[in-house]
Amino acid sequence: MTNEKHIASVFDRDLEAIQALIMKMGGLVEANITSAAQALEERDVELAAKVRASDKAIDALEEQINEEAARVIALRSPAAGDLRTVLTVMKIAGNLERCGDYAKNLAKRTGVLADMQPITGAGASIRRMAREVEEMLKLALDAYIQRDAELAEQVRQRDLDVDQMYNALFREFLTYMMEDPRNISACMHLHFIAKNIERMGDHATSIAEQVIYLVTGEMPEESRPKGDLTSHTDMDMESF
Amino acid sequence: MSDQSASNGRISHGSLMVADPRTKKRNAAEARFRAYGIVAISIGVLFLAALAFSILRSGLPAFTQYVAKLEVTLSQEDYDAAESKMLKTAAYTDIFIENFSNALDERGVDVAYDSDAIERILGKVGGDIRGHYREHPDDIGRPVTFQLQTSSRVEGYFKGRVDRESLVDSRFLVKTDLDIVDALTDADILTGRFNWAFIKGTDAGVDNPGGAGIGAAAVGSLFMMLVVLLLSLPIGVAASIYLEEFAPQNKFTDIVEVNISNLAAVPSIVFGILGLSVFIQFMHLPQSAPLVGGLVLTLMTLPTIIISTRASLKAVPPSIRDAALGIGASKMQSVFHHVLPLAMPGILTGTIIGLAQALGESAPLLLIGMVGFVAREFPDGVVSGFLDPNSAMPAQIYTWAARADAGFYEKAWGGIIVLLAFLLTMNIIAIILRRRFERRW
Amino acid sequence: MNDMRIVKRDVDMNDIKISAKGVQVYYGDTHAIKDVNVEIKDKTVTAFIGPSGCGKSTFLRCLNRMNDTIDICRVEGSIQIEGEDIYDKRVDPVQLRAKVGMVFQKPNPFPKSIYDNVAYGPRIHGLARTKADLDEIVEKSLRRGAIWNEVKDRLHAPGTGLSGGQQQRLCIARAVATEPEVLLMDEPCSALDPIATAQVEELIDELRENFSVVIVTHSMQQAARVSQKTAFFHLGNLVEYGETGQIFTNPQDPRTESYITGRIG
Repeated sequence: MTNEKHIASVFDRDLEAIQALIMKMGGLVEANITSAAQALEERDVELAAKVRASDKAIDALEEQINEEAARVIALRSPAAGDLRTVLTVMKIAGNLERCGDYAKNLAKRTGVLADMQPITGAGASIRRMAREVEEMLKLALDAYIQRDAELAEQVRQRDLDVDQMYNALFREFLTYMMEDPRNISACMHLHFIAKNIERMGDHATSIAEQVIYLVTGEMPEESRPKGDLTSHTDMDMESF
Repeated sequence: MSDQSASNGRISHGSLMVADPRTKKRNAAEARFRAYGIVAISIGVLFLAALAFSILRSGLPAFTQYVAKLEVTLSQEDYDAAESKMLKTAAYTDIFIENFSNALDERGVDVAYDSDAIERILGKVGGDIRGHYREHPDDIGRPVTFQLQTSSRVEGYFKGRVDRESLVDSRFLVKTDLDIVDALTDADILTGRFNWAFIKGTDAGVDNPGGAGIGAAAVGSLFMMLVVLLLSLPIGVAASIYLEEFAPQNKFTDIVEVNISNLAAVPSIVFGILGLSVFIQFMHLPQSAPLVGGLVLTLMTLPTIIISTRASLKAVPPSIRDAALGIGASKMQSVFHHVLPLAMPGILTGTIIGLAQALGESAPLLLIGMVGFVAREFPDGVVSGFLDPNSAMPAQIYTWAARADAGFYEKAWGGIIVLLAFLLTMNIIAIILRRRFERRW
Repeated sequence: MNDMRIVKRDVDMNDIKISAKGVQVYYGDTHAIKDVNVEIKDKTVTAFIGPSGCGKSTFLRCLNRMNDTIDICRVEGSIQIEGEDIYDKRVDPVQLRAKVGMVFQKPNPFPKSIYDNVAYGPRIHGLARTKADLDEIVEKSLRRGAIWNEVKDRLHAPGTGLSGGQQQRLCIARAVATEPEVLLMDEPCSALDPIATAQVEELIDELRENFSVVIVTHSMQQAARVSQKTAFFHLGNLVEYGETGQIFTNPQDPRTESYITGRIG
């Protein structure tokens, strides 16, 4: 990547404008994740409603980014680094939009959970996990802005932590549900929330991978440490 | 971006319906320039018209000749009698006068004359008549219509150069002769006719402007032009192609180029003296021969042809050469198949300009002896056309213009008309050829 | 993943047609081409891109010795076509140019008929013994030039009367009529409108079946569209040479990146 200006300064302005939109979108998504987790822990239905409302803005931003990217491709025929910039912008916007959707889903379930018996400690664990994911997202976007492949690689590695947190929560909820069948409904919701946050972590990882592609021109190999073992976990009663 | 700066930086334009002062000035300047152009062209056309008018006015009379028509029947006895006399031409003169007075009587013309007056008006008629019968003995006993040329002064009288006042103290024509001429004209014995002799004839002595013709000199010019064309076109084109397409760019070719340009500016008389020393004194080629004249004029024409040929070769777009080379044509194939045909119209134009220059050149010819009075007879054939002494039209014209008799002055003008006609013919042929070569696509 | 690619990218399996090693070109005192090494594949379109004056046209003209016509031009190094050094003393450039045809920037048909334009090469190289042979060659070449259908009814009309795009395709037909093995194209579309350009580009892609095509172009998009291999020249150096897709998405050299993203002229 070069830091020189384009001969056509409009091109520079277009690219900067798109990336500014991505940062704005990223900021909104991060804030929504934080707020949703907070609303969940504090059973704050109003805050949850706010999160749900602001997802509309995120969706609108994604649409705008896609449109702008299409315009740049059509009008400027970007190549090499510019082409990768535009391509990653579109993918990152998609990832962020999915993250926004998960945050919105979290907020929705918060409304349902507020009427149920609280599960001790679950809210705090989920909030910790959400904070971790939000941190990853923030770092991934920083890496994007700074075109920093190393930082992106660190973000990619951090997904392992999120996966392990999710594994722990999965087992925790399993225990709660086995202890008391009345917890099942709440635990199911909480499990979906945890799963969604884990998915957000995957999207953050995907953004980091896009950054690596943007900088190096090549997608990283599939050698990322995987920590999500739940697909292999069964209800092994003997283990309890 | 900011509207303020945009409106501040802008010059306000007035209404388009009103021309601003600068526009008016520009338009006026353009109108003036066009006017200059028209004036310049008008002056050019005016000069051309004046030139054409004066040439035609002074030269056209040269194409008219005044003759006395008389039918004579000479019997064998009269012929024998005349041939047996001591003064044979005088006898023929008497025979002529006898027939002449018969003719006058027939037409009822009453005018006093004697044999001297007849000789003053018609020259030595006896000699002419005798010459005719000696050449054509078959005509003896048959009626023959003689057309006897009037003397230079009588022609001058017809053409307005001579009148009764100017004939005081003249031995060659006296006032009373003009009365005879008038009477003969009235009797239709003296008439004007087209002067074929001028076009077909050869130069005549200084005392006989009426008998002088430009034909021999025109033939000389023709042979000379053949030499120039046959030598300068191939040599010039070959030299140009080599210099333009093949020669490496170095000091030597630079010098050659500069010298060719310089040669084009060398005065023609220099080529004349060169021809005299090299072709005649050193190489011992025949003096006054059209071959030598042609060689000299070739030297003079070559630079013109080379310069114009190179210019037209240069004008052929290089893409054509590239195209030919790109499909594997050799250098020579690309030049001869593509470049040369495209340059041909330009080459022909240059050649014609060169030939026209050569055709009008007289100074170098005078130096190698192709002066006008040499053209006393036509060549016998092609070889003699090149090698026998002859003159060329400009030299002939120059010679006539230098002679004392006013009749020659008129011939000089007539010669110029013939020269111009010759040139025009050449140019038309060139234009037709160029059309052939020019591919209009 | 590589075996799932939609477009076949088997270019690298083709034989090497032209191999240039350590090529240096001087125009008088100017060092126009600096130590260029490149291997051009058979049955492949290779594009040379780069800013004006970078030497791409100069290098192209070295490949069929068109630079010989310029007195002050000097070429060093070795350029081999199928193992034969074309700058060897024994090589006649005229013979070479029959093997390595060339199409130029400006359509330059001869001011002759369409038929004669195409027939000229075969005639001077003696490729046709009879009139029927020649007719056949002309038709085949015009078909290869993708212009047969447009001109078959007016073969004896002047070639210069065609439109720009048709003229350029005629020039391509003329170039392929001598059955060259390599076809060099020096900005063949720079004087054409987009439709004519597209037709010529389609033609170039078809020509790849039989020829090794080397094309110099100012339009990076054109290089991207028609070529399988791209070489980027800058200031007389061959900066980068590689698969076209790779050059346009992920160039290795920052100068290439700058050039194709429109950062240096």
